[in-house]
Amino acid sequence: MNPVAARTSATPTAAPDAELLEVGDSPEALLALFAERGWGDGLPLVAPTPERVSAMLAALGDVDPDEVIATLPPRFGQATRRIIAVNAVLAGCAPEHLPVVVTAVRALARPEVNLRGVNATTHCVAPLLVVHGEIAGQAGYNGGIGAFGPGNRANAATGRAVRLILLHVAGAVPGPGDASTQGGPAKYSYCVAENAAATPWEGYAASVGVHASSAVTVHCGEGPHNVHDMESSEPAPILDKLASAMATLGPNNVVIAQGEFFVALCPEHASTIAAHGWSRRDIQSYLYQRARLPAADVRAAFVSRAWEPWMHAVPDDELLPMTGHPDHIRVFVCGGPGKHSSIIPSWGMTKSVTLPIEP
Amino acid sequence: MQIYAPDGPIGTPDSPRVPARAVLTGLRIGVLDNGKPNARLVMVRAASQLADRTGARVALVTDKGPNHNAATPCSDEVLDRLTKEVDLVITGSAD
Repeated sequence: MNPVAARTSATPTAAPDAELLEVGDSPEALLALFAERGWGDGLPLVAPTPERVSAMLAALGDVDPDEVIATLPPRFGQATRRIIAVNAVLAGCAPEHLPVVVTAVRALARPEVNLRGVNATTHCVAPLLVVHGEIAGQAGYNGGIGAFGPGNRANAATGRAVRLILLHVAGAVPGPGDASTQGGPAKYSYCVAENAAATPWEGYAASVGVHASSAVTVHCGEGPHNVHDMESSEPAPILDKLASAMATLGPNNVVIAQGEFFVALCPEHASTIAAHGWSRRDIQSYLYQRARLPAADVRAAFVSRAWEPWMHAVPDDELLPMTGHPDHIRVFVCGGPGKHSSIIPSWGMTKSVTLPIEP
Repeated sequence: MQIYAPDGPIGTPDSPRVPARAVLTGLRIGVLDNGKPNARLVMVRAASQLADRTGARVALVTDKGPNHNAATPCSDEVLDRLTKEVDLVITGSAD
């Protein structure tokens, strides 16, 4: 089948600024077209026909499908709801996932995310999406066993839709728009739900001031780094292992003090910690105190250091924290049975954003 | 079948670039160090050679300001200096 597509002209179904193409009906033809255009993530795609895109958009209710939700660098592509829906179809989303994708795009465009840098850097950074609240259950997001892994459509397709939007709309194409030296598997899809049922504290979104029935957080960082503790029955030894994983010379956090760490506690670790009366704030404070390196070692390793002013005054023979403030350590609960938690270092020159789900 | 293209239209950058200067003779060149290793060395040499060839001069070499680096714009103070003290700037955005 001929994969070469032709631009259609004067089609009555074409939306403003959304281009319609002709392509053969087979999956192979669609893949060939996308390869020819430099689109896609290399995996099979669902054809974004007008019918599928309209069905996807219907999930948003009575909103303007061609309103620009965000202009995304470095290409400065305009992410309308329709274009977002096109990419959601391509990724395999169901309509009920679209509000999460739209909200994530809105969050990524916030200036504190620094999306231009996130997309263009040589670092392996990818936006992690954490889905909170009612929509997680209603739309089938997984915050339980294997949440960071395969097997769940909502997680996989939503994360992939955001990546396809970054590739297609933002232009974060490896090489011309994404200079990541090694790339990373998190750049394919990176979406989990918060395990609200297993969270012994208030939900993450509420903890950062977002009191909504559903919300999504974006954190631009590395892939998760495992921390196991099968033996401890008290908070400190568990958190010491997390601190140990945080306190290395590798992550950007060590020289960029505004960088955040996301800490994804498994339910069993969270339960053990909370059972001893420790709050989320206690965890933040403890990790801030314990995740440290000798100042002399850090100075010896890096000439360029984006630290808080006070950090420059810490003597060589004392310990430096791995981030500039306890608030930069963000704690949520995720995963199923077992005693494996993870830490997710930041790219650095970015801040996480949590927004209520809106169409 | 018909499908939508996934890329959408291109918007307008917040800060469009000014047109390039056709003649550099007599102009002041600035070097904005992005903080990456060797960036200053490479860019100052490039600026010096450009000055030698065109009759311009290197008037200012600066970093981006405290806690600013390759991943961020320069500070307002540095931008003000560049605006006042040079006519063109050499900078880089990567390693």
